[in-house]
Amino acid sequence: MSDEFDDIQAIFFEECTEGLTTAEQGLSAMQGGDVSAEVIAGVFRAVHSIKGGAGAFGHADLTAFAHKFENVLDEVRGGKIPPSPGVVKVMLSAFDVLSDHVECAKGLAPRPADQAALDALEQVLANKGADDGAPAANSAATVAPVAAEPPAAAGEADEFGFVPMAVSLDDFDAPAAPAAVDGAWIVTFKPSRAALANAGEPLLIIRELETLGAEIIGVDTGTVPSLRDLDPEDAYFTWTLRLPAELPESDITDCFDFVAPDSVVEVRRDAVAAAPVAEVAPAPAAAPAEDDFGFVPVTAGVEDLAAEMQRVVEQIAAASPPIGSVETPAIAPKAGAGDAQQTIRVDLGKLDLLLNLVGELVIRNSILADRLSPADRQRVELPELARLTRQIQDNVMSLRAQPIKQAFSRVPRMLRDLSVETGKQINLETIGETTEVDKGVIEKIGDPLTHMIRNAADHGLESAEERIAAGKSPEGTIKLSAEQRGARIFVRVQDNGRGINRERVKAKAIEKGIISADAQLSNEEIDQLICAPGFSTAETISNISGRGVGMDVVRSNVEALGGRVEIHSVPGEGTTFTMILPLTLAILDGMIVRLAGQRFVLPLAHVLETVQPEIGQVKRTSPDSEVIDMRGEYVPVKRATEIFGLNDDRQVEDSLVVIVESEGSGKVGLVVDTIDDRREVVIKSLDQNLHPIRGLGGATILGDGSIALILDIEALVASTNRYTPKGLAA
Amino acid sequence: MTTTNDNAGADRKIVTFSLAQQTFGIDMRALIEIREWDEPTPLPNVPGFIKGVTNLRGNVIPVVGLAERLGWEPSAIHARSCVLVVNIAGKQAGFLVDEVNDIVAIGETEIQPAPEVETIESSVIDGLVRIATRQKDGTRDEKGIMVLLLDLDALSLTKHLDIAA
Repeated sequence: MSDEFDDIQAIFFEECTEGLTTAEQGLSAMQGGDVSAEVIAGVFRAVHSIKGGAGAFGHADLTAFAHKFENVLDEVRGGKIPPSPGVVKVMLSAFDVLSDHVECAKGLAPRPADQAALDALEQVLANKGADDGAPAANSAATVAPVAAEPPAAAGEADEFGFVPMAVSLDDFDAPAAPAAVDGAWIVTFKPSRAALANAGEPLLIIRELETLGAEIIGVDTGTVPSLRDLDPEDAYFTWTLRLPAELPESDITDCFDFVAPDSVVEVRRDAVAAAPVAEVAPAPAAAPAEDDFGFVPVTAGVEDLAAEMQRVVEQIAAASPPIGSVETPAIAPKAGAGDAQQTIRVDLGKLDLLLNLVGELVIRNSILADRLSPADRQRVELPELARLTRQIQDNVMSLRAQPIKQAFSRVPRMLRDLSVETGKQINLETIGETTEVDKGVIEKIGDPLTHMIRNAADHGLESAEERIAAGKSPEGTIKLSAEQRGARIFVRVQDNGRGINRERVKAKAIEKGIISADAQLSNEEIDQLICAPGFSTAETISNISGRGVGMDVVRSNVEALGGRVEIHSVPGEGTTFTMILPLTLAILDGMIVRLAGQRFVLPLAHVLETVQPEIGQVKRTSPDSEVIDMRGEYVPVKRATEIFGLNDDRQVEDSLVVIVESEGSGKVGLVVDTIDDRREVVIKSLDQNLHPIRGLGGATILGDGSIALILDIEALVASTNRYTPKGLAA
Repeated sequence: MTTTNDNAGADRKIVTFSLAQQTFGIDMRALIEIREWDEPTPLPNVPGFIKGVTNLRGNVIPVVGLAERLGWEPSAIHARSCVLVVNIAGKQAGFLVDEVNDIVAIGETEIQPAPEVETIESSVIDGLVRIATRQKDGTRDEKGIMVLLLDLDALSLTKHLDIAA
């Protein structure tokens, strides 16, 4: 029971994450000047659904805060509060607090101090954002609807005991008021027999609508049969109500939440330009086909109103000619957004399973290819099968692909915090955030990315004063970019700060004993030192990070993903960190080799060439080390069998040497018995059930169900002097 | 020989198996399945008690020589050798045992704490329980046998390997 609840709650939190991402993107867009109705509505919807879910799960603090935030957003959306930079700023901080509240609801963080943000929101609500020069014209629309002229003949409605109220039409006189631009809401409501039978009292719903400012503009009594045929338990009336234009549609639909589904409920915008009320009214007749009711406007008051409306409409039309087209964009984006993002939520485990099965299929396919004679291959249309299999594989892979935006989404927030902590002004530029990467990769680059951003903000960028002194603009810029190149993805964090101080880095490395005092290093080698473990150049380690502190973690995390980190720095101009990562962690192009009879997978990406050594081509340089003569170039040779402690009495001349290229050690020759095959393998992690093992990047299941271990080239060839740059004393 | 239990109020089911002439038990809830011995793929750079990895319906799981892990002589593989596949804190592992005996219900109160013995690691024996046995001829052996209940969490490979690494 509680497990089930947890599951549902987990879905809610996932939705929260998505909602927060959407909201943050929207708010960032608003900050950047895009205050279109679409963007604002997007943020509103995101916060609204977080509030809804939070309420359902009883997260009171989150609900309360989201509610207040939503109120402000609603006003902004209704055009009552202008989305001025000041207001957007308040909303951005409110967003930060909202994120904290979500974390708190997840139990990952203490309850955030939200009073300041609440006060700021309250402030915005109270003065309608006017403190930052809001156009006063908007205030016309904010006046609450006043019951100006009670309809003359309310008698018809009396049996339900409600008093219709009218919108003060004077409010519509201000031409710029958004309320006049959008048509008022027209709601048609015909409860069904079932609704009445389930005690769905229409009066209660109408009263609820009235609290929102609804006014009954028509009751269709045309379907009431003669007394003889009257079924007292059936429903015969259709009400038509008008509600103020600035209400969010959801407020109206919320009133109908508990109405039986076969009731007729229509919510639409009044067609302002075309429509005197009398002509609008017949429209609902189209909805229920079985009822052929002729709609009769019932009150004289409505006719007056219609005339009044007509007059107002003409005035408005005169003031702003293209009024007819204005209502379209107000509604269209909403419908459009719903259509475009048709998605389905799938458990990642199921996708993994599918991927595994497809992997098996690929393997079976290649086994089949091996076993069939060329003639048979054609007969069973094997190439066709192979092509299909490949397509299925590509598609399954693309199911797991997600825009890297997800990993980037938390950066703006982080930079806002960092900006406050460091007192530096930081601009963020993001490029290529729609680049798609496997979900597993996205999840795992979060931490390294965070580290790099923090480093760039804390140590890469100078203070405003320093920047001005250096002739730069006082605002620092961090550029975050992603691009795909072949099967790899490049994620860059670039700052335009001071660059790496190589003198200091080198001095520090000598002091820490990472390099010897007389080491001669190229600039690149010095830059790489900041990734060495235990290295820090920060004189006082701030609470954010020191460039160097944690960079070794970045490097090892990225290497664990099968990637690498490149550092490029120009003194005075800035530093660029590049993470080069595989697009997927799931499939690898590999070479099946044998070591002491056992099958292993060697990632093909590392392989340069393979040689069958001739006698004398492999030479000993010490009792423990060998080199191979590759056309005059001496390449060190490693025996994986030795590293793995396997029994191997094979002569090197009977073996093959696979020349691999590694990031840390350059070219290295690996001695293997034979090469069996080349194929794509599905990577299974060893640490899922065991523990990462040095020298192994995982395992895979071969076609016959047996397991082959995947070699981790970087770890294998660098096993002795992992962090020592070439040619240096350790 | 099979082990049985006639006690009322039994609230825990255990799987009993023999290893190095002793009878051990593990909690039934942790057991995923029992498989025949199949030579696993050896792993480099791991402690000797890890026999390798095997394919459990698409999952790569480690196979542990439980006898070595507990400090006994390694099990000799024979026709009745079995691998108990268990779930320890979300991780799956196979344990090589000499023979699986029975599933018995025991009461929580029947479990005696294991005597404190000085070892490098905290005890992997959760407790001791006496189980009445039935001989092949059907007569009851009132003396019963001692079953050593294993604490799977303490056996957790990950924990142990962290120490080893």
